[in-house]
Amino acid sequence: MTATDTTVEAKKFDIKGLANRYAIIWATLVVFVLLSVTTDNFLSVENLRNILDQQAFVLIIAAFATIVIISGGFDVSLGATYILAPIVGMKVENSTGNLLWMLLAGAAVGLACGLINGFIIAYAKINSFIATLATSFIIFGVAYLVSNGTIQTLSNMNLRKFVTTRVFGITSATIYGVLFIIVAAVLVERMKFGRYVFAVGGNLEAARLAGVRVAKVQIICFTLGGFAAGLAGTLNCIRTTSAQASDDFSVIFAVIAAIVVGGTSIAGGSGAIWRSFVGVFFIAILVNGFNLNGIDPIYQRIIQGVVILLAVGADAFSRSNKD
Amino acid sequence: MLIEINNISKRFGATLALHAVSATFESGQVYSLVGENGAGKSTLGKIIAGVYQPSEGALLFDGAEVNFQSPAEALDRGVTIIAQELSLIPAKSVIENVFLGIESSVGPFVNSAQDKVRFKSLVEETHIFLDPNSVVSALRTGDQQKVEILRALARNAQVIVMDEPTARLSASETQNLKSLILKLKSQGKTIIFISHFLTDVLDISDHIVIMRDGNIIRISNPGVETHDSLVEAMTGAKIGSTFPPKRGSATDKKVILQVNNLSRSGVFSDISFNVSEGEIVVLAGLVGSGRTEVARAIFGADPHTTGEVKINGKVVHLKSPADAIAAGIAMIPESRKDQGIIPTRPLRDNISLPHLNLLSIFGFIKRTSENSLVQRFISSCGVRASGLMIAMTNLSGGNQQKALFARSLAGGPILFIADEPTRGVDVGSKRAIYQLISEQADNNLAILIISSELDEVVGLADRVLVMRQGRIVKELSGTEVNENSVVAAAFIEMGSK
Repeated sequence: MTATDTTVEAKKFDIKGLANRYAIIWATLVVFVLLSVTTDNFLSVENLRNILDQQAFVLIIAAFATIVIISGGFDVSLGATYILAPIVGMKVENSTGNLLWMLLAGAAVGLACGLINGFIIAYAKINSFIATLATSFIIFGVAYLVSNGTIQTLSNMNLRKFVTTRVFGITSATIYGVLFIIVAAVLVERMKFGRYVFAVGGNLEAARLAGVRVAKVQIICFTLGGFAAGLAGTLNCIRTTSAQASDDFSVIFAVIAAIVVGGTSIAGGSGAIWRSFVGVFFIAILVNGFNLNGIDPIYQRIIQGVVILLAVGADAFSRSNKD
Repeated sequence: MLIEINNISKRFGATLALHAVSATFESGQVYSLVGENGAGKSTLGKIIAGVYQPSEGALLFDGAEVNFQSPAEALDRGVTIIAQELSLIPAKSVIENVFLGIESSVGPFVNSAQDKVRFKSLVEETHIFLDPNSVVSALRTGDQQKVEILRALARNAQVIVMDEPTARLSASETQNLKSLILKLKSQGKTIIFISHFLTDVLDISDHIVIMRDGNIIRISNPGVETHDSLVEAMTGAKIGSTFPPKRGSATDKKVILQVNNLSRSGVFSDISFNVSEGEIVVLAGLVGSGRTEVARAIFGADPHTTGEVKINGKVVHLKSPADAIAAGIAMIPESRKDQGIIPTRPLRDNISLPHLNLLSIFGFIKRTSENSLVQRFISSCGVRASGLMIAMTNLSGGNQQKALFARSLAGGPILFIADEPTRGVDVGSKRAIYQLISEQADNNLAILIISSELDEVVGLADRVLVMRQGRIVKELSGTEVNENSVVAAAFIEMGSK
């Protein structure tokens, strides 16, 4: 084999690496271009703004849930927190009429749920999927107790403006979503805490022996996740003006799907916040494209499921080929 | 069975791991593959066992070309590999593991009575004695390896490739494995033995295949090779002494670490010793004698029941490694892969991890300070990497280990503990690591080493503490330190042998 052969090999290898690494971006671009060409109303400023607005609260949760997953944890109770927090928030709003108190109450409920999850996982060392599955039941139960099974409504409809105000045509909700993504990205990429999160997710015992206070990091991760879910739930119910314990909690599936499709590994120790941002956007334009083309929602679900399997399968395949 | 490899090359992406190598392996012979990490010895072993497929060239069995697509296909032709990481099912018993997938059956049910008969005849044939009902996870590493060998023999393997089989064994377990290999050889099996341990290689081989950079340098035999001639061929350089010169007596030096009557019930008891600045103390003894546990207790990684640890004369209460690092202690753990590296993260992040408090302001990492600190210790520890951001998992074992030295030393510790500092690293890196340890002692660092390699114990130590069954049974210093005295102390109860 000659020297030139080697360089050709190296180049090929690099392209393959680049393709693997940014797979979600290429996929999003392909879908974006396809929809722009084939679907009339897709490529309009208004449609794109709407897509972002609809995904705002998914973005908020996905931003911090990604941190939980990078740390090697998994939090299914975020769906329940997303339901409980606004019920408490609405009650506070009804008695105080104050937006700030409502938001603080919703966020505090989320924070408390996350903190409890974190303590259980860090100290009782229960697998996080199982632990948060169990706390989901508890949180849902508390939601029924607090609401007495009834629907809570916003007393001051003017508060909706907090999430619907448009700045340069973009809703404030979208801005909150993007802000959460930026904050999470800074935390993970620029701060000491982010390094600890990656270390704990990458090799927990090695992180501990390198002086990382593992329990503290895990507790903070779950607390952040709970906080985001609580706040996102509260903002969502401000938009819909009501909250009840039987509300749709499937947001957690959308969040996990976006994180996984984005390319953050469920195994922990690798991933990025921008990946989840692109993942949310990818699924959103896919669904939007289905809607614009009048595809039956039942088939939409099936196709979404297939897309997630493909994403995870491709990830597993590229990993197994590495060794 | 005659195995020939004919001009075999193997590429991984842009890396050429094997470069048109040829060799012949005959039955009833022991072949050792030796070379530094990355020389291609494991790759060659895995090609023979069907784990990898050659990029070019041919593999011939009794003159006919074979094309294994998987280890299962190789096993059908009687070839099996015992990998570095054992592939047993820990929660199952010995007998279940041995016959996994080839159980005797009655209809859909396992015929365990029949399996017991088969196990008994297997034991009689091989003289490998194991309790068939023991759960594998409760066995020592050496016994787990025997289960793997039994499993291979139960499948009628004629050729057994062993990848670094002695790396995780104690001295006595290694002896047992060596006699087992000779027994298998006398039964006509071919053994391909991949090892860093040249003493073992010289002991048991009929042929030694010396590799470097994907090439076979030469195939010779133990009669004409010595430890030094092998190292020379493997590294391509003439070697001087492996170990740097020792320092003088440390009687006038300040005591850094003082351990008083440290005990942990059921693990170790009444451990008392001290380490002074500029001194290398080695904890020797068999695997399982409690050396690692003592070090981990000092480092705050494990609890202790009674006793005290003093650093610089002051009693410290270390409840976690984080506390220990803050007190000026650094430790390189026993298992690089399980306890040392964060494989998914870059070299830079791996090195700076314990020191981020000093490298950040309001929680934000000062990246220029970080890069310059990391850069400084990468070069002083001799880590060879294409850049700071290369993923840790892509570095060789030797470089990963040097990176852990960089991580430990970057915090400017006053006490440095290294548990098996050269385990699984190549000969060149070993010498560099010895040099590095010696330099740190010259710079007045107090150093505590745990080692299972006798030449390392003798070559490095200013003082040796020999442990047995959780106690320090002997202290050796100066001219008392030699292989015989260390072995004698570690095996007192076997002294009559």
